[in-house]
Amino acid sequence: MSRKQLDATLMTVAALVAFGLPLVVTSPTYLQILILLFFYAYLTTSWNLVGGFAGVLPLGHSVFVGIGAYTSTILTLQYGVSPWIGMLVGGVLAALVGVVIGLPTFRMRGAYFCLCTIAFAEGIRVMVENIDSLGPLKVNGPRGLLIPLKDPSFWHYQFMSKLPYYYIILVMLLIVLTLTWFISRSKIGYYLAAGGEEPEAAAALGVNVANCKLLSMALSCFFTALAGTFYAQLMLYFYPKGLMGLDLSFEIAFIALIGGRGTIAGPVIGALVLRPLNEFTRIYLSDMLPGLHLVIFGLILILVMLYKPQGLTAPLSAVYDKLARKITREPNAKGVAA
Amino acid sequence: MSANILEITTLTKHFGGLTAVSALDLHIEKGEILALIGPNGAGKSTVFNLVAGVYPPSEGTIRFKDAVINGRKPWDLCKLGLARTFQIVKPFASKTVLYNVMVGAFLHTNSTAKAREKAEEVMAVLGLEHLRDRLAGSLTIADRKRLEIGKALATNPELLLLDEVMAGLRPTEVDDMIAVIRGLRDRGVTVFVIEHIMRAVMALSDRVAVIHFGQKIAEGTPEAVTRDENVIKAYLGGDYDAA
Repeated sequence: MSRKQLDATLMTVAALVAFGLPLVVTSPTYLQILILLFFYAYLTTSWNLVGGFAGVLPLGHSVFVGIGAYTSTILTLQYGVSPWIGMLVGGVLAALVGVVIGLPTFRMRGAYFCLCTIAFAEGIRVMVENIDSLGPLKVNGPRGLLIPLKDPSFWHYQFMSKLPYYYIILVMLLIVLTLTWFISRSKIGYYLAAGGEEPEAAAALGVNVANCKLLSMALSCFFTALAGTFYAQLMLYFYPKGLMGLDLSFEIAFIALIGGRGTIAGPVIGALVLRPLNEFTRIYLSDMLPGLHLVIFGLILILVMLYKPQGLTAPLSAVYDKLARKITREPNAKGVAA
Repeated sequence: MSANILEITTLTKHFGGLTAVSALDLHIEKGEILALIGPNGAGKSTVFNLVAGVYPPSEGTIRFKDAVINGRKPWDLCKLGLARTFQIVKPFASKTVLYNVMVGAFLHTNSTAKAREKAEEVMAVLGLEHLRDRLAGSLTIADRKRLEIGKALATNPELLLLDEVMAGLRPTEVDDMIAVIRGLRDRGVTVFVIEHIMRAVMALSDRVAVIHFGQKIAEGTPEAVTRDENVIKAYLGGDYDAA
């Protein structure tokens, strides 16, 4: 068995497990936990397009989740547009907003971009909380938006069980992972990494660093906004503080930093570690001390940054490399054992 | 089209009240190796940065292949065929040597396979093949300098600006580097070097230009320049003359 075959086999197995999991996990509670796990993995993978590969640190991505959720929901509630179409509109809108933030800040070095994203996200959240209607659009201020139940159908993006949501977010995750894989192996991926690490050296090699970052920002914001619509349709209710707050922005960055920024598997590994931890500490520990799960997050982040500053993906892939080399070098032994 | 690949006329750069380069005239013929020397702080790197488009000149014109390139951005100039290295090397440290060179090789292709092919070719020319999968951050200074040239060379430049690629090298490594740069010229690349190591300047250059306080004080063959009184004064200080 060659290395490529081994990789492909394992990927297929992982995909089959992901698709087959609902056969085993039938409880809606656990299914919901899995859905949110994929949701966060998806969000972080989208974040990683700019936060990982372009070497900048956006800390206000929740605003794009908000743009997605509000756009599709307002279009559905007031104009009867299917959330699927609203989802795309929200994505394009978020990409435009992302470019507007990036245009002035990507040309500067240092923390300007990072600070700008936080300020922008918080500013928009406060505005949304204080606005009841924006022209003809009913935003509903801090009360948020409630999506009334309709006939469950694909077109309405509403379903009787959790199962369709599970598969929708899984497919979305696979799409954005494939895109990431593709980008990391193409010219734009090389240019992003180069521009993120040594902008002057990259420019001297013909890389228009600011334009590359803008492109990755637009892509990242587009996909992040799609998750906003998904969240709105899953919960059927959202409000500014829960959806657009800094908590969400920071949790995305936490997952990326712990999993491994700028790696393909990092966001998924980070979500696999942190999401269950988040859910269970919240279920079992929140009576003791509210907010304890955030303290635990912080502790884990400190430990990872101290001992594995590249995130968990680097050591894990080193272990996998070793194992894979053993397996591919001794195909017979493995064949006999199996 | 004139024989000069680069023509600098009355080039001036002010940084606030400081004039780093003042009314400098300089030209490089196609296929030539020109060395720019001068004491520390003479304005050599500023000249390079002006030519490479890092900042625009205050006055004067820079012509590359007969087109005025004042104020053009570094990435545009690179596409025109002008590449540079940095005095303080800037490798993409967390990536492999191959990856570093491929970033340069992507300039003329969108295909990863073609960029890899081109990068392998450049690494073979510079003797970097054995370091292919090493991380750039783990290289010795000599190899880093070589990688710096490799990245620039992968963009297929017609004019290559080398900013002190010998600094910090041991004598044997300097000899290797001299051979490398001669090899570049034989491949048709025009080379413009800033260098402090006089042995390398003497061995390499067809012509030498000397600047001091942003002004050109001498120009000519290496032998003529090193005998020039003004040059000796600039390096040793004017007081010696008076004494």
